[in-house]
Amino acid sequence: MTAGIADHWYPVAMCSGISSPRDTRLLGQEITIGREGEQFWVRDVHGKTLPAIARYGHLWTSPGQPNRDLFSIPEAEAPGRRLVDCGAVRVKCSPLRAVENFLDIAHFPFVHTDILGAEPYTEVSRYEVQIREEVDEVWATKVKFFQPQAARSAAGGITTEYMYRVAAPTSAVLYKTCPPRPGEWDIITLFVQPLTEELCDVWPWMALYDDTSPLAELVSFQQMIFMQDRSILESQIPRKLPLDPGMEAPTQADLTSVAYRRWLKRIGFTYGAQVVAA
Amino acid sequence: MPARVDGQDLAIWRAASGQTHVWGDRCPHRGMRLSRGFVRGETLACIYHGWQYGNDGGCTQIPAHPNLVPPKTICATTYACAEYSGVIWVALQTTTQVCRSFPGQAAVRSLAIKASAEKVMEYFSGADTGVVCVGGTNDIALALQPIDATHCTAHALASVSADRKEVSRWLESQRRSIELDLA
Ligand code: FES
Ligand SMILES: [Fe+2]
Repeated sequence: MTAGIADHWYPVAMCSGISSPRDTRLLGQEITIGREGEQFWVRDVHGKTLPAIARYGHLWTSPGQPNRDLFSIPEAEAPGRRLVDCGAVRVKCSPLRAVENFLDIAHFPFVHTDILGAEPYTEVSRYEVQIREEVDEVWATKVKFFQPQAARSAAGGITTEYMYRVAAPTSAVLYKTCPPRPGEWDIITLFVQPLTEELCDVWPWMALYDDTSPLAELVSFQQMIFMQDRSILESQIPRKLPLDPGMEAPTQADLTSVAYRRWLKRIGFTYGAQVVAA
Repeated sequence: MPARVDGQDLAIWRAASGQTHVWGDRCPHRGMRLSRGFVRGETLACIYHGWQYGNDGGCTQIPAHPNLVPPKTICATTYACAEYSGVIWVALQTTTQVCRSFPGQAAVRSLAIKASAEKVMEYFSGADTGVVCVGGTNDIALALQPIDATHCTAHALASVSADRKEVSRWLESQRRSIELDLA
């Protein structure tokens, strides 16, 4: 593992789920996590203390020396939002494939049929993608898609607008039109804990303007969506994400995934990636 | 449906017209298994983004871009295949060989065996053609599907007049002794 990979921040647990110390895995290495009152801690196999940050409902750590703070989601801190922990979904796939699937809208009509999409509304119109050098993130904006039931709080079909943001190699944020509050964005994130190169825990988390839906329903809606995604993610060949063009055939609808792969390659993030030997 | 031959993952599907296809089990778009896809008339659609592939494996439709004619380069891997006596045969390499037929015989049962196809052929000291013929009253032919170094599936064919239960029992007993032989 190169230093660059160890130096990023990774989610390793839901804060509300930590009571007594427990073992988990990060980038193939055993780590132990726990709490002392309000303080969370993380240790590696040698007992060395690793950096720990509790933010966005989750505990974050890094086995290396992070050269910057954990990314921020200022919008999520606005008052009036409901913060929803969803728990983890374990997926037998590369952590990078899990993120890429989260960035993809073209699969909605086929994988989340009649929920996030439906035939014949399959067209993906042109949207904008940038690798923002100043913040070292990938952004996709003006993404629009017709959805029969965009969220728990959506009654009928609407065209939803999205923005996608890859804030760290295994963490992405989705900003989505918010049915009860035009002009505001609902926030859904995908925090991926890379257990190994081909196994990950996916921690969805939400910051919503939805005061009416019961919590259990919000969580089970999100869980259902991720179960549908999991059945795809565990059947892709190869399991690792190919970073070199040629192996897979993207189209214009895949611009976000193309930029994500290019960015990973540029920053040398190869954990969970298939790189053709030079 | 999925199948494995010589370590290769395959997708077997039947078009509405009845034609059988054996393809590599990988969608050229994002690597999804095509065996998880769905048949629409004469095309196979991938379950992930709904890309459709026609008879020759070429992509015919990309739902995210309904007005785009998919480039010819987007193509599933196709293999020559044939259907005889209720068994689907595939050639992973180009071959001039004609697939052999079994007049008067029909498929009875497929049985997974924990042994390579070579070992099973050795056991019957049969030819190395992938088909073992066993003489006798039931005239059984075993079409062997090599899977990997330690697995194969035997597809048993027998004359239409044969007692299917008896053939099936015989096959199971053969499997037991082949696997014991190797243990
Ligand atoms: S992976 Fe098959 S259509 Fe996208
Ligand atoms: Fe999905």
